[in-house]
Amino acid sequence: MWTYIVRRTLYNIPVFLAIVFVLMLALRVNDPVSAQLGKNAGEEQIRLLTEEMGLDEPFIVQYGVFLKKLVTLDFSERSWDQGFPVSEMIFKAVPPSMAITIPTLTVTAMIAICVGLVSAFNRGRAIDRSLMFIAVIGMSISVLVYIILGQYFGAFVPSESIEGWPFQVAVDASAGESALFFFQPAQWVAFCMLPVMINVVVALGYDARFYRAVMVEESQRDYIRTAKAKGASTRRVMFVHMLKNAMIPIITRIMISLPFVITGSILIEVFFGIPGMGRTLINAINSKDFPVIQTFTALFAALFIASNILTDVLYALVDPRVRLS
Amino acid sequence: MLKARRIAALGLAAVCLLNAGTAIGAESTEKKDELKVMQLPIRTDGPKSLDPVEGSTTYDNMACAQFYETLLTNKYASPMEMEPLLLAEMPTTEDGGTTWHFTLKEGVYFHDNACFPGGKGRAITPDDVFYSIKRLADDEYKLENWWLLDGTILGFNEYKDAQNAADEFDYDAPVPGFRKINDREFEIVLTKPVYRFLYILGMFQTSVVPREAVEYYGKDFARNPVGTGPFILDTWVPKQSLTADRNPNYHEVFYPGRDEWSREDKRARLHRAAGKQVPFVDRVEFTMFIEDQPMWLEFNAGNLGYTQVPEDYFQEAFDRSSKELKESFLRKGMRPHANKLLDFTFRGFNMEDELLGGYSTEKRALRRAISYAIDLDEINETFYSGRRIVYDGPIPPGLDGHPEDGRSEAAARGRNIAMAREMLAQAGYPDGKGLPAIRFYTSQNAINNAVSEMVKRQLAEVNIKFEPVFMDFSTLIEAINKKKAPMFGFAWSSDYPDGENNLALFYGPNEAPGSNHYNYKRPEYDALYEKVLTMGPSEERTAIYAQMRDMILDDCAYVGGMARERFYLMNPWLLNCKPTERYYGWFKYLDVDDSKRE
Repeated sequence: MWTYIVRRTLYNIPVFLAIVFVLMLALRVNDPVSAQLGKNAGEEQIRLLTEEMGLDEPFIVQYGVFLKKLVTLDFSERSWDQGFPVSEMIFKAVPPSMAITIPTLTVTAMIAICVGLVSAFNRGRAIDRSLMFIAVIGMSISVLVYIILGQYFGAFVPSESIEGWPFQVAVDASAGESALFFFQPAQWVAFCMLPVMINVVVALGYDARFYRAVMVEESQRDYIRTAKAKGASTRRVMFVHMLKNAMIPIITRIMISLPFVITGSILIEVFFGIPGMGRTLINAINSKDFPVIQTFTALFAALFIASNILTDVLYALVDPRVRLS
Repeated sequence: MLKARRIAALGLAAVCLLNAGTAIGAESTEKKDELKVMQLPIRTDGPKSLDPVEGSTTYDNMACAQFYETLLTNKYASPMEMEPLLLAEMPTTEDGGTTWHFTLKEGVYFHDNACFPGGKGRAITPDDVFYSIKRLADDEYKLENWWLLDGTILGFNEYKDAQNAADEFDYDAPVPGFRKINDREFEIVLTKPVYRFLYILGMFQTSVVPREAVEYYGKDFARNPVGTGPFILDTWVPKQSLTADRNPNYHEVFYPGRDEWSREDKRARLHRAAGKQVPFVDRVEFTMFIEDQPMWLEFNAGNLGYTQVPEDYFQEAFDRSSKELKESFLRKGMRPHANKLLDFTFRGFNMEDELLGGYSTEKRALRRAISYAIDLDEINETFYSGRRIVYDGPIPPGLDGHPEDGRSEAAARGRNIAMAREMLAQAGYPDGKGLPAIRFYTSQNAINNAVSEMVKRQLAEVNIKFEPVFMDFSTLIEAINKKKAPMFGFAWSSDYPDGENNLALFYGPNEAPGSNHYNYKRPEYDALYEKVLTMGPSEERTAIYAQMRDMILDDCAYVGGMARERFYLMNPWLLNCKPTERYYGWFKYLDVDDSKRE
């Protein structure tokens, strides 16, 4: 297995190098220095910042320097906009993102798998049609609508009439700098639970339909008929036989979502004021914060590649028929 | 089984730890409850630096002004006027404005901070003023605000060039224009009388900082402000929040006296704290809002002292035609306030463009034809609910040189289809025949796209083909700086309340990539500009401003302009609040009445 992991990692290195190359090229199409300095920038000022950022060097040199930093995990370069080292920004942004995305991923997967199982087992019946109708409605509505309505009817309106209503519209200054703030039960309920609920509702439609399709396929296999013939209970057929055999697509689906645990969800973080990775990245894009955009995007690419490799490894662990060679 | 127990024990321990954290938090919250705490919003993602010399945005200004102070400042009751802040009196001059004499106020101390011996802040001296101004010349700070003093102080440009060329920037090297008299008095000698110099001494970028702090914190100085301001930084979570506590050693600054307030202000009871020492609150908490909805809801829930009224929510709070606050908001005790901004929004022509540029009668007529055909009032009504102020000339409302009723006879104000057709014929394109499409460069956003469609339709009525080119803001700046945009949409917000700041946009030597994006060059205009630079407010200066304004309008270097009117709402628990965007040192005058919170 280790040989396989090493080989897949080596195969993916050119992919990663190409991503970083294209990323750096794209960021330099428009002069990032003029964009950063704004309306009063003089030529001397533009020259100084260009030199300070190493943008006066040939592109290939800049590429080499950035790769070296990535390989040595040197994220000490400072944000243009904030003056903070990028590493510090990453460390501060990951925990709040995880406070939202881990519960979202877990709850969504659990509910969607159950809905998929129930739907598949009752294929064609009213319960199946109702669940899928709700799923389609759910996935047809923009996430922005859920957020706007969620903030209004989930936090603002009830807080006007119900004393002690737990959900807040957005994170306020009380959050301070503590990385653990969002992991305290009371704070999590106040600031994270509503965003998690919205995220779950948004993701549920897609996931439930996907898992239903997987389960429908599994439910037509011979081993299900055999299990039923041997007198296994419905619950046992669904949760032991069918679920176990459907693990490959389930793992794929979950693993695809795994990098989002770190990267966060941009709109949710922006609207609810959660200082996570998504909000940090969108802020960096808005303020043309070149070092942050570059480092974050390269990291995201690395995370996606890593999760792909991990997915293959998990296949072999859950399904003995899969051999890593 | 054992494993499960271990996991359960670990889980229990984690919950206990979290609860312990919550308990400690609860105790400190109780202490905070006894304090006067003021919660305010910062629309957008807030400051990028807390070092004044690196600041440029409104939000840098808003944050820095709580910790740092300038020699002069705007008056809270009448923000267009200046008054001393770190000075005992307004600076004086005996030679017509070349040499200025300053006396520092007594009893002004820097915040207590670890950078000082014994952690005790010391009194400010003229050396601190000189040091702070010298930082503007240091290319370590990328000269972001050098333009403020470029060519203004005697020997300062030479000092900047010499020090930046040297191995190390020497802050002790002398500048001929800086003269220290004693520990409180000093003089600054200018290269020539430049009236705007006094305004610049009120801009936050020239705030006084202590050298010890800059050297102690190094690169992190931008996150550790040490000034003389009314508040001391507690925490700053960039793009998220900023909290500050009252400076217990703040110098004597009093709330404006009763007679300084207008009758209207007195009706709003803004004079209630007249003569009292500020600041009134113990703590201020700013939260940054990138999106408007959460800010609006938080304000409506009573959690924020005031808010700007976002465009999308204007009609929820105000009657569209009368601009009066709706009854439902008045019932909650909310108060409105409107600010006319010193804005200049325009569609500029590149005067060096082959088709649209030039000063011949034909070229001038073509630009005037375009201007006559565009209906700014229709744009204002359709997209801004009529809340923008349409005016002639580059000088915004409220400043000397702004035309009476906003109209000047020299302007080619639309919509006047007959004049547009006549001008087109004069330009050699009768009924638009033979005129190539006008390429209009503008930044991409929903409003710009829609407005451009309307302009396209308006111009089509006189057979002028209009071709909008949408791009991101950085590409737009680049195109304008390289003189590639024949016509472009842009805006300017005055740096200080003097028409000279806007007239500088048409001064020849400021051509692109400078602030003269139009590349407008008229020697007689430049001569007048150089003359007014040295003049203080007077009827003569206002007359010259009007002459320069009409010169630009006659040449029709742009189509426009428009200024925004910003609406604010205040919750009843926030007292003494008269929001202004001229400066941001006014938060110290605010007070809270917790009994009025719901």
